[in-house]
Amino acid sequence: MVTFWTLAPIMVLAALGVVLARKAVHSALLLAVVMISLAITYASQGAPFLFAVQIIVYTGAIMMLFLFVLMLVGVDASDSLVETIKGQRMMALVVGLTFGVLVVLVVGQGVVGVSVGLGEANANGNVYGLAALMFTKYVLAIEFTAALLITAAVGAMVLAHRERLVPRRSQREESARRLQEYAETGRHPGPLPTPGVYARHNAVDTPALLPDGSPSELSVSRVLRARGSVREGFEGDVGQTLRQLDPDDPTSTIGGSTPRRGGSGRTEES
Amino acid sequence: MIHPLLVSASAPPPIDSPTIQYGDLSPLLVVAAVALLGVMVEAFAPRALRFTIQTALAIGGIVVALAATVWVGLGLDRASGDVLARGRVVAEGAVAVDGPSVFMWGLVLLFALVSMLLFAERRLEGGLSAFTGQAAAPPGSAMEREAVEHRIEHTEVFPLAMFALVGMMLFPAANDLLTMFVALEVLSLPLYLLCGLARRRRLLSQESAMKYFLLGAFSSAFFAYGIALVYGFAGGFGLGDIDQAVSNRIDGQNLLLAGIALMAVGVMFKVGAVPFHAWTPDVYQGAPTAVTAFMAAGTKVAAFGAMLRLFFVAFGGASWDWRPMFWVVAILTMVVGAVAAVTQSDVKRMLAYSSIAHAGFILVGVTGAFVGTRDASVTSVSSVLFYLTVYGFSTIGAFAIVTIVRDASGETTQLSRWAGLGRESPLVAGAFALFMLAFAGIPLTSGFIGKWAVFSAAWSGGAWPLVVVAVLASVVAASFYVRVIVTMFFTEPTGEGPSVAVPSMATTAVIVVAVVVTVLLGVVPGPVLDLAQSAGAFVR
Amino acid sequence: MTDHYITLSLLLFTIGAVGVLVRRNAIVVFMCVELMLNATNLAFVTFARAHGNLDGQIAAFLVMVVAAAEVVVGLAIIVSIFRTRRSASVDDASLLKY
Repeated sequence: MVTFWTLAPIMVLAALGVVLARKAVHSALLLAVVMISLAITYASQGAPFLFAVQIIVYTGAIMMLFLFVLMLVGVDASDSLVETIKGQRMMALVVGLTFGVLVVLVVGQGVVGVSVGLGEANANGNVYGLAALMFTKYVLAIEFTAALLITAAVGAMVLAHRERLVPRRSQREESARRLQEYAETGRHPGPLPTPGVYARHNAVDTPALLPDGSPSELSVSRVLRARGSVREGFEGDVGQTLRQLDPDDPTSTIGGSTPRRGGSGRTEES
Repeated sequence: MIHPLLVSASAPPPIDSPTIQYGDLSPLLVVAAVALLGVMVEAFAPRALRFTIQTALAIGGIVVALAATVWVGLGLDRASGDVLARGRVVAEGAVAVDGPSVFMWGLVLLFALVSMLLFAERRLEGGLSAFTGQAAAPPGSAMEREAVEHRIEHTEVFPLAMFALVGMMLFPAANDLLTMFVALEVLSLPLYLLCGLARRRRLLSQESAMKYFLLGAFSSAFFAYGIALVYGFAGGFGLGDIDQAVSNRIDGQNLLLAGIALMAVGVMFKVGAVPFHAWTPDVYQGAPTAVTAFMAAGTKVAAFGAMLRLFFVAFGGASWDWRPMFWVVAILTMVVGAVAAVTQSDVKRMLAYSSIAHAGFILVGVTGAFVGTRDASVTSVSSVLFYLTVYGFSTIGAFAIVTIVRDASGETTQLSRWAGLGRESPLVAGAFALFMLAFAGIPLTSGFIGKWAVFSAAWSGGAWPLVVVAVLASVVAASFYVRVIVTMFFTEPTGEGPSVAVPSMATTAVIVVAVVVTVLLGVVPGPVLDLAQSAGAFVR
Repeated sequence: MTDHYITLSLLLFTIGAVGVLVRRNAIVVFMCVELMLNATNLAFVTFARAHGNLDGQIAAFLVMVVAAAEVVVGLAIIVSIFRTRRSASVDDASLLKY
């Protein structure tokens, strides 16, 4: 009784959170909360084996897989990945209401007369009882789950494994190729400039500034640029600093005698 | 040695080993073994030989399984009871090997056999199969081009299809809800994967896989919850136990009704009945056409088989409760399928809506729920079995033709581009026209006999208003099929017109078989109809 | 007590179903499906205790196995789509530099 009234509100709130959370990671973590709470309810309902399996399989394997894929896809992937069928909000409302009615009808009537309890079934231990069913009555169903697991493994390999079709280039070949490219196109053979050189920040999304003050395109990953998450607004920084260093400029903060003005630049922060 | 403290005072009694009738299950086991061997071939056979080995293995395995099915079918004993039924429940009550099961095994195996020939077609893509060479390579990337240059192929499609086939065989034969649930997943998962592996139009294909997967997982969650509620009502999973509970008990009715409704959602999704049909057009269009053919024919058989067994055996005592729901769904499915097909401009989408309409017609037969004690009249079960035979062969034939009408970018599925096909290739257009006529249910084609069988079963079951609606819906649908024929034969081609690629023996054989079956079942339906009739009722 | 647990299970199932219908992100949709399956398991375990047999627990176990396989397949499909969509704009660039 105590278990139920402690866990039920947590589970319902966490489940609502799964649906309402804006970020996918939050949904995943809240789902893990639901799953662990469920594991505890299993333990309190005479299912110690399922308690362990729930923790190991659901929170241990399935949720980890979810989190792993979220990392792969990008943690902030709260945008839509796919356009599903239209008019679903209405459907959702209908389904929600239907189930509301279902709850009233089914539970209002009283589900099962008397709860028998698992005392007898678990007499030789829960695991023994499960094994006795698993290896006799449901042996075929359990065996056919093998087909599922193999399908899953083969499917994951097919969809995610890239076979290497061209041999890997050795270090020597690679350097020869780069110098060749330098000779032909003038592309610098060395590593690309790191982000943040001569810049205000050294974060990966901040382009390095070239001596003339323009941001270096090469210093930021193409992926970040394509996503549009490159930090902008540094183009004027060098000019501004030069102005500040110029003793003739009346607005200069270093050479001039005028006190600093509030709007004179962001140099104050550094 | 085990420490004495770890052994309980009284050691638990040993568990008796189960009795599995391997002979009766041999068709299933053969197909499962072939699937496993296929995975092994992937691991050990050299790449150059894999495609040949996999094709031979799959086709050989299916032939052996067919032989085993015939052997099992001949050995079925007549079960006791007032209605004709053959067979028995095996494997500790998990599987019912009875007339309908064996009939459906044979049917699914035949469909798989012809589908495997479509899978094996390599002439249309210049020596490569219709499946992508490297699914992990993004469409249009350098890696994809490399894969084509190196001529690599995903031969895993064969073992995956075999796994799906095992699921399709187990689903209609399952005699308890847990086996049924596992079978549903075994049948679905490989199909989700296969849908996403098209060589051409890969974005569409991947999207179809995603849609099919998400909606499929959603519907199987409903199915699972339905099982839970039915278990709550009956206290067991065996269809026989549930039947007894349904017949005997009065309390907890709401639990039972909710469970029936949720399980119906699960199977109706699989057959593509309205309002659970949203996935059908997208998936049929996006999936590789060979997979679409396999899925359209095989999944329908498996899902209708399971639906019949579930509702006739387990919920037979509550038929007055579920029949109204089936009435509504059947009418909706026929009307939406027929009307929406009229508006389609893509051949594959049109065939998808036509499959929805056909699901409606089959549902008419199911809704009739006519058991029939006299051997003379067609029962619901046998009429549905016959219709599935007819529909499956015509569908596979139609999709096989879709694979060979091509232009530079692959299959030409725009209906407007099919104009003038009759002039380009009278044979191919003629075969497609035949399938259209069969879909429309014109006499002397198999479709007519199929429709006649389900309608008469429904009529005998007292569902005559449904039959009237069904006939009207067939008229609407027929108008569309006729339009397709007119487009092919009597419309001037736009631009260059369609071109028909020359396929290898495999696809040709599929089309020829489909044409022959469609004509034969239209002219002499007797033997197959008798076979369906003698399959009898389900055993409990 | 059975009634309480079944109410909870139905609630969780409903929340999951509504989530599938309202969310747009494929991964979150899939998480909602998992929530529905978890609710199913709670119902199985609860009914198993009510009926005094372990069949329901076997069912819950099978649902977990099925869910595990389904997750692998589903996430593989989602990842392959994601690669396609993103690389359409980023032409198979990786975040790493040489």
